[in-house]
Amino acid sequence: MANTPRAGGAGAQRPNGTVQNKVCQFKLVLLGESAVGKSSLVLRFVKGQFHEYQESTIGAAFLTQPLRVEDTAVKFEIWDTAGQERYHSLAPMYYRGAQAAIVVYDIPNQDTFGRAKNWVKELHKQASPPIVIALAGNKADLANKRVVEFEEAQQYADENRLLIMETSAKTMVNDIFLAIAKKLPKSEAKGGAAEEHRVGAVPTQQRASGCCK
Amino acid sequence: MDEEYDAIVLGTGLKECILSGMLSVSGKKVLHVDRNKYYGGESASITPLEELFTRFGAPAPDECYGRGRDWNVDLIPKFLMANGSLVKLLIHTGVTRYLEFKSVEGSYVYKGGKISKVPVDQKEALASDLMGMFEKRRFRNFLIYVQDVREDDPKTWKDMDPHTCTMQQIYDKFGLDKNTQDFTGHALALYRDDEYLNQTAIQTVRRIKLYSDSLARYGKSPYLYPMYGLGELPQGFARLSAIYGGTYMLDKPIDEIVMEDGRVVGVRSGKEIAKCKQVYCDPSYVPDKVEKTGQVIRCICLMDHPVPNTRDALSTQIIIPQKQVGRKSDIYVSLVSYTHQVAAKGWFIAMVSTTVETDNPENEIKPGLDLLGPIRQKFVSVSDYYEPTDDGIQSQIFISASYDATTHFETTCLDVLDIFRRGTGEDFDFSKVKLDLGDEEQ
Repeated sequence: MANTPRAGGAGAQRPNGTVQNKVCQFKLVLLGESAVGKSSLVLRFVKGQFHEYQESTIGAAFLTQPLRVEDTAVKFEIWDTAGQERYHSLAPMYYRGAQAAIVVYDIPNQDTFGRAKNWVKELHKQASPPIVIALAGNKADLANKRVVEFEEAQQYADENRLLIMETSAKTMVNDIFLAIAKKLPKSEAKGGAAEEHRVGAVPTQQRASGCCK
Repeated sequence: MDEEYDAIVLGTGLKECILSGMLSVSGKKVLHVDRNKYYGGESASITPLEELFTRFGAPAPDECYGRGRDWNVDLIPKFLMANGSLVKLLIHTGVTRYLEFKSVEGSYVYKGGKISKVPVDQKEALASDLMGMFEKRRFRNFLIYVQDVREDDPKTWKDMDPHTCTMQQIYDKFGLDKNTQDFTGHALALYRDDEYLNQTAIQTVRRIKLYSDSLARYGKSPYLYPMYGLGELPQGFARLSAIYGGTYMLDKPIDEIVMEDGRVVGVRSGKEIAKCKQVYCDPSYVPDKVEKTGQVIRCICLMDHPVPNTRDALSTQIIIPQKQVGRKSDIYVSLVSYTHQVAAKGWFIAMVSTTVETDNPENEIKPGLDLLGPIRQKFVSVSDYYEPTDDGIQSQIFISASYDATTHFETTCLDVLDIFRRGTGEDFDFSKVKLDLGDEEQ
């Protein structure tokens, strides 16, 4: 719903069945070359769907998915590139306030790994720290066509302090999201500005900028 | 690029991005191109600060300005009316999800060298230092009349049909003096000049209602301002367009708009030609299809303090009605600050702007600059105001007008909706936005 303010009241509005009413919301952005499977990775995570021939992204502003890490409910607001990465036309808004990123490359395609490194650089330039970055080697199910060795990717990830995982949209992808969730700071809110609001929201509503309410 | 599109949009200013979004949502195949490396065109917010200094040919900023990346400086100052058309567009299209806003803290009007808070409700009117005791009562009666008017209910008109009476007649009926008329017309109804006095009153009544309805939404002023600057707005609508299938290319020079029998058939960049049925663009892409109809002067002022006499407001607007300073059009002052993530900690950005009337425009904005106190750095620009020479129906090239001197986005939205209507032959159907798509399971 467009008029629904996010985050601020989420914990209170939607009790998740436990004693703790603590929901941490994080903005997570996806990056990577076109057609490396960014969208299918997320759809698998959010909806448990997999389509052999996933169409280019249309229609999703962002998807949200709740997760549970120990006693904390974590909710990802996942932003898809909407194809704007194709001609290097991602807007600064995309990176703004991102607390986590998954940079996706194709295991059977060396170019996409090179591009992934560039996206990591771009993230360090555009996003404000601290940001948790995970590198995802996708299409692990096509291992017989593997070009990017896991050791190579792992070495790069270690040097740049990234999480790394090989994923396949046909198999479980939850692990990578869980790993990110564990690494994100789930501290108490640092008291955001009270007058910030979303248009359409009631004025007192505020956004939990990556922290808990 | 060598493909065929329903529409090619040139320039990523706010108007073009809203249009691109609406076209994509309506199912059109859209290619959206900008010659610049960044989104926003004329309505961009410039970042980092070094870029702004370079743009105006100034030597690089020194350390006192903090981190350059903390700055997002608008080239065109505007606020959103909390209940205005742009907010409605943002909500209906769901673009509001990408943005956060703060309400502007104060709204002031200039009278006799001083500034006073704009009174909007009866209580404020009675406390205002803009009017004497008897005038306050007359103004209060006028406000009650405006609030009570229902356009289709003659009983609420109190023998003054706003559809036939002029605004001047209404003012006279309530016995309002020239000063009160001045701040009512310019600070509440937000007219830039006095032509409205001889037009029917209904427009002014609507505008005053918009002001007070907007004020009622968040309290301190009727205005909203987006965090990180106005440049976020075009980016938000561009994302909407992309989500509905629009293709984006920045940093792409446009060399030719290809015509056949007086109609557009494509756009050429270098050796590539993208075919299309329609082009939507800002005036800078079609210099031979627009005419200059005026000029706007804007002065960006970097300051390390708020505007004096505004109770240290971190954001504010001051309107200097034309008559107060012997002009034909108003002077506008707007202020935003580090609290909007547009400046480094402790810094403020003021903007003074007006429609140019003389050949010494810098002198024209002096009354505005004089209100600001010490200014650390000033950047002055005089921009030509362009309008398309035709309605685009023949050529299928639909051109937006330049951004005018108004302080809000009402005229911007009117232009956009009008262009959309001309281009598609119908009004934008908001129901085509699938608000539930990709959204939470609430």
